[in-house]
Amino acid sequence: MDSDATSPGEIDRREFIRRASAAAVAGLSAPYVWSQRTEETLVVNSFGGEYQELFEKAVIRPFEKKFGVKVVHDATGTSSQDYAKIRASKGAPGFDVAAALSPPEVVLGAKEGLLEKITEQEVPNLKFTWEKARKSLPPNAVMHTLQFDSLLYNKDKLDKPTSWADYWQPEKRYGAKVKGHVINYNPANLLSVFALIHAAELGGGGTSNMDPAWALLKSQKPYVGVIVTTSAEAAPHFESGEVWLSPYWSARAGYYISRGIPYGMIVPKEGVIANIDAAAVPVGAKNKKLAYEFINFMLDPATQRDWCIAYFCSPGRGDIKDWPKGFADSQIVTNQQFDSVRLPDLDAIGTNRRDWTLRWQEIMG
Amino acid sequence: MTHASARSRVPAHWLLVALPATVLLVFFVLPNALLLSASFLKSEAQQLTTQTTLDNYRFLFTRPLYLEVFLRTFVVGISVGVVDIVLGFPLAYFLVRTRSRWKGLLIALSLAPLLASVVVRTYGWYIILNRFGVANDVLLGIGIIENRIAFMPSTGAIIVGLAHALLPYTVLSIMGSLNGINPNLESAAMSLGANRIRTFFHVILPLSLPGIAGGFLLVFSIAISAYATPAILGGPATQVAATAIYSFIIQLLDWSLGAALAVVLIVSSLLLLYAAARLGARRAAL
Repeated sequence: MDSDATSPGEIDRREFIRRASAAAVAGLSAPYVWSQRTEETLVVNSFGGEYQELFEKAVIRPFEKKFGVKVVHDATGTSSQDYAKIRASKGAPGFDVAAALSPPEVVLGAKEGLLEKITEQEVPNLKFTWEKARKSLPPNAVMHTLQFDSLLYNKDKLDKPTSWADYWQPEKRYGAKVKGHVINYNPANLLSVFALIHAAELGGGGTSNMDPAWALLKSQKPYVGVIVTTSAEAAPHFESGEVWLSPYWSARAGYYISRGIPYGMIVPKEGVIANIDAAAVPVGAKNKKLAYEFINFMLDPATQRDWCIAYFCSPGRGDIKDWPKGFADSQIVTNQQFDSVRLPDLDAIGTNRRDWTLRWQEIMG
Repeated sequence: MTHASARSRVPAHWLLVALPATVLLVFFVLPNALLLSASFLKSEAQQLTTQTTLDNYRFLFTRPLYLEVFLRTFVVGISVGVVDIVLGFPLAYFLVRTRSRWKGLLIALSLAPLLASVVVRTYGWYIILNRFGVANDVLLGIGIIENRIAFMPSTGAIIVGLAHALLPYTVLSIMGSLNGINPNLESAAMSLGANRIRTFFHVILPLSLPGIAGGFLLVFSIAISAYATPAILGGPATQVAATAIYSFIIQLLDWSLGAALAVVLIVSSLLLLYAAARLGARRAAL
């Protein structure tokens, strides 16, 4: 019997496959059709939360005005979440610029070939960035700002700490009253990794011997009242006065102190480790040309000045001279200052972070 | 009609099945197959290699931390199921049997939590349970405690949050069962001399068992895979399977261990659900 003999309720196999395929293609392509954008639209993934508005005001709006383009600001995700999106999509995460990556993700992106290499040809301002930072990062991202792991304390409750030991052994410095008012972070946050490295060094160890850090973590545990992963999660605990002592990124610390919370920020006598904020372009970005223009714009002196003052961070270049007096005193703004900055051991962190996190979970769980 | 031509025709109603089947294949079967394959690959310094290994599973089954994570996950699932059945049964019974003219409104109110986002509901519990929250303030105020208690992060807080969020599912499931019971059976039992308690345990409860079992299985399976509530009320140090998987894949970028953990969760929950379904079928047959 030929196909003409098909009854009203039946269709032949080819027709079935054709209709099913059409329906599937239409269904699957719908999101892409809806998200269609013009050549002159750039999607930038960067700072969210309280920094979203500041970043848009200091960087995105001036960029749109200068280039006459539309920027869609994707303010979601932490650095590792952003890189997880890049990896899961094989380099096409839907944003053209990943503007808030930290060095471990940049190193991974370079190894996995998911971030474009960036040279002075694409980003002419690259030549003005700190030389030491350029050497420390793979050429797949550009450093634009710098902050460090400071120690934040509640001035109404505690005397000024001076050492990382005051954080890791709070009972020795502050006694029983500090119990329940110390915060600890999951090593999924680089802040926690840096704090653990300081703990290891207090006991004579380091990235190759973290045993002293685990001993200090165990002894600190009874005094810990709050455990979080991201720095943003910690903020409400400062505002409520619940947490009195915390390692904290200097930029965030400066921001919250400026808003009137009764906290002080210090650089412990053992020193701090710098965290680089870097911008990169995923290999599958749709608008690479404009993405490079955006990164170059982020490094312009005027943009750097506005963003760093708003973000309470140090700049990505050392040739800006017109900083406000108070700001320059608390940040790293000269080549000499930057040369004394301690950058993290990225190889050691990349190799050991998982095991350190598991160890942390075993102790804190 | 020849055999060949009969085989070449497909009933049109298959098209109805084709689209959901395609979606299921593309968005469930395929990703899970990828997940399964990734669980047998080795990760080095956060990078997935092509080297196959059983180390991921060996790691999960030999580290007390992850055995605790599994134990906590299933304790949460079972506890939430039991709490919701205990709380949901009287509510469902009342909603089915009430003759109030507000019955429709009461049913809508009891299901209203489903209208709010689980994140919003969970933050409600966060405000109540944290060390400086409402529960501590009340207990301190009436003098029951002298020092603030850390109700969260804890397994108990996760159970409370999930039990609240999932209660409407058990109410719906049990209401379905109770609605199917002929009220005359109850009257008949009582006219034959059974008191209310005996009628409940010998008539109502056995006949509503399918709804109870269905509600329990539904709540259990949602609870063991829940992420938002355990993440908020448990925090990074009180992990369940879903938060541990997230931590491996998104935060530590270790896909192979995350995939292995996900496979173990899926397989163990399927086995438990299969066992429960078999048990339910056997009881129904009896």
